Amino acid sequence: MSAVGYASSPVRRRSKTRRIKPTVANVVLLAIAILMLLPVGWLVIQSLLGTGSALRVPPVWVPTHPTTANYRQVDQLIPFFTFLWNSVKITLIVTTGAVATSALAAYAFAKLEFPGKNLLFIVLLCAIMVPNQVTAAPTYVLMHRLGLSTSQVAVWLPGLVNVFGIFLLRQFFRGIPKELEEAGRLDGLSTMGVLFRIVLPLSKHALAALAILVGSATWNDYFWPSIYLTDRHEMTLPVGLITLYGLYHQGSPVVIFAAISMTVVPLLVVFLFAQRAMTESLTMTGFK
Amino acid sequence: MIAQAGRNVAALDAASRRSRTATRARKRREALTAYLLIAPAFLLFLGFIAGPLAGSFALSLFSYDLLNPAHYIGLANYRQLLHDHLALKSLEVTFIFTAASLVLHVIVGLALALSVHRKMPAALRYVLRTAFFFPVLISWAVVSLIAEYTLDPNFGFVTYYLGKIGIHNVGWFTNPHTALGAIIGVDLWHTVGFTFLVLLAGLQAIPRELYEAARVDGAGARRTFFSITLPLLSPSLFFVSVISIIGAFQIFEPVHIITLGGPGDSTESIVQYIYQVGFTQLQMGYAATLGLVLFFILLLVTLVQFGLSKRWVHYDLGD
Repeated sequence: MSAVGYASSPVRRRSKTRRIKPTVANVVLLAIAILMLLPVGWLVIQSLLGTGSALRVPPVWVPTHPTTANYRQVDQLIPFFTFLWNSVKITLIVTTGAVATSALAAYAFAKLEFPGKNLLFIVLLCAIMVPNQVTAAPTYVLMHRLGLSTSQVAVWLPGLVNVFGIFLLRQFFRGIPKELEEAGRLDGLSTMGVLFRIVLPLSKHALAALAILVGSATWNDYFWPSIYLTDRHEMTLPVGLITLYGLYHQGSPVVIFAAISMTVVPLLVVFLFAQRAMTESLTMTGFK
Repeated sequence: MIAQAGRNVAALDAASRRSRTATRARKRREALTAYLLIAPAFLLFLGFIAGPLAGSFALSLFSYDLLNPAHYIGLANYRQLLHDHLALKSLEVTFIFTAASLVLHVIVGLALALSVHRKMPAALRYVLRTAFFFPVLISWAVVSLIAEYTLDPNFGFVTYYLGKIGIHNVGWFTNPHTALGAIIGVDLWHTVGFTFLVLLAGLQAIPRELYEAARVDGAGARRTFFSITLPLLSPSLFFVSVISIIGAFQIFEPVHIITLGGPGDSTESIVQYIYQVGFTQLQMGYAATLGLVLFFILLLVTLVQFGLSKRWVHYDLGD
């Protein structure tokens, strides 16, 4: 690509030969990439086939007569759009809540002085390595006692605190130069003013990264929703799809394929557009 | 003169006292703001992280099924643990899974990252990054269904093509000798893209001048890899190992959805066992005890990793 700008012909000629003669390694890599995507591709193609041609071996790879019959059946078997709405709702609540509580706490730890600061931070840090499945039983007992054990509240309430998020944002906030805050103070900004006018606007990337991390983890979570959400109309997509699978996998796998495609294809489209933001957010967490 | 000086000192003293009180008041205000800012996160932390962890210790001393009142049984849950073959089996399964997952993720992830970190057309690089990373975004629930169907003994296309190249199997997930291996493979497909991406970013952060200097010094490809690439990649390698291990210890969804720990107990992971004891058999006290075991294992593994990391992880360029 970069060779295009150069006027000297040898560079251009070399880049041309590279384009015409792809290396063996590149072909192998492309084959691996296709193999990685093939399971999803197979599923989507089968979901478009009629009963006669779906799920045959050797598989049909080209849908010559695509049909939407399987997709129309999804809505008869499960309340797909209720699942979708529940997932959207819970993901939005957890993402905004966790980013907000993390940003406030991280600002205090990064920029303010107060007694007990280091002790509190160490206590929080210890929790980073504790996966919440470890405390599944006492957490469930707690929700049971609170009368929330079949409610969506039990799914999103514990998600409102994210210790990793506090740590990530604190690291980021500490990198913001003190001079900027002092200039803000001279302009008459309060402590909160500095947070909202200076620190947060300068941290958009870190906040977006945390939102993507928390959002995708919540969207994909299966463990807690499968414990709490027993009523069909409360279920999120992952639990709902597994319920569909449990009920109908004997009879009509292709309908389940259609439901899976309805969750995976939009994800692929979003990913193609927001690839940079999504991948950077996941990798930046390792380099702070 | 002396009186004058005395007055001056007194005035200075008063001024400094005033400013000290002012500073103290400002400090107190700042501390108050800080506590208010931390309060939401900290209260939730106490309620849903620290509280349940402390509650685990208490609950582990009780027998409680949610329906009848809890009753104190001392260390009976811990004694039960020592004779519980399924608990020991679940530890074994989890350790095997974690070891295999760690090794495969690092080797395959590194191979993919090294092969993409070369001169290649930008479009190809984009396609490769997308294809390798995309499965990471799919939920475990959907991945489990995809695995179940693509490996189906009757119509699964993976089973069919594997059969064509001589790898015959009636049911990957129903044969006790292959079920755990199949789950290890599915997990690799699902998350190796993350390892790949972190290691690729790590490779791209290595300064190019170092490679040029190595070439000038006459170092070969092998020497360059072991003296420059690997040491400078060590922080990324450390990061992916910690993440892989913690993730692998919690392996749950494919086990719960596809095999339910079977066939036999060949895929019973520790989180699946906690789920089964707690939410199928409603033995909350024993489930809490098992949770604590997982907690201490993870704590130990993490401490050991950080201890060992001092020997092989290089955070600066200096030797």
